[in-house]
Amino acid sequence: MTISTRILTVDDSASMRALLNHALTSNGFEVAQADDGVAALEWLAVNEVDVVITDINMPRLDGFGLIEQVRGGTRHRDRPILVLTTESSDEKKNRARRAGATGWIVKPFDTEKLVAAVRRVAH
Amino acid sequence: MMLEKPPILPNITRLTVLQGQFRVSAGPRVELSTVLGSCVATCLFDPEAEVGGMNHFLLSEPPASHASEEVDVHYGVYLMEMLINEMLANGARKSRLRAHLYGGANIRAGMAQIGTANANFARVFLERERIQLVREDMGGVSARRVDFRPASGLVRCRTVSSTEAPDTKPIPRAVPSRGEVELF
Repeated sequence: MTISTRILTVDDSASMRALLNHALTSNGFEVAQADDGVAALEWLAVNEVDVVITDINMPRLDGFGLIEQVRGGTRHRDRPILVLTTESSDEKKNRARRAGATGWIVKPFDTEKLVAAVRRVAH
Repeated sequence: MMLEKPPILPNITRLTVLQGQFRVSAGPRVELSTVLGSCVATCLFDPEAEVGGMNHFLLSEPPASHASEEVDVHYGVYLMEMLINEMLANGARKSRLRAHLYGGANIRAGMAQIGTANANFARVFLERERIQLVREDMGGVSARRVDFRPASGLVRCRTVSSTEAPDTKPIPRAVPSRGEVELF
């Protein structure tokens, strides 16, 4: 029996979460959603995950803060974290890399490229 | 709340917002302008921060091989998010945003009702994001010109000859650089 890959998507846009949910579930992934970094940490405290996909610009706790807190914790510190963002600056990309992000994906996302990236980091 | 018919002010800097673009400003003498056919323009305004912005998008149709007749909303969501993020970066708060929607006409007979699809997408997006829609002027068969003062929220929308509207072509579904992935 195959266990599906569990993904947590973190984005303050309900429309973007819906797009991601459709793209990922239709490719066989199990998807949970959080609307900012705080909600993501609350979910991660009591759930298992294989890959986190997070936006950068979010209220309460942004994507950088989320990555730093996950990497600084114990429960999910080795889990891959993909940043999915409209940001295009090298400064922010490098900041995400230094914080411990696994990869950087530019919006608007392409479903095939996104799914390939998730499969590659989730193994 | 946004009002209509902005007064004529001297020394106005008019910035055009073309298809695929967005602009945000708090400049009191800035006016954002666009001409719309089947495209939709979203005007967002935060009355407390006195900052506003406009985007201008046209959703693409799916490829012929695609079974669904739905349009591809990825680009619309992207341009909406870009506009909202820029508004927030300029001091706006999402909970205070007020929206106007314009455009979405079906100008050319025989073409797919892409204007209607654009209009429907924009309404659903705002509802989903809980952004208050205070006025819309969408649909029909006429092109529109929209002039928006971002610092005051004043907006004027009037119909114009369809020859003034840009010859809109849907954004190609597969943008070469779209969704580029870089693994660290």
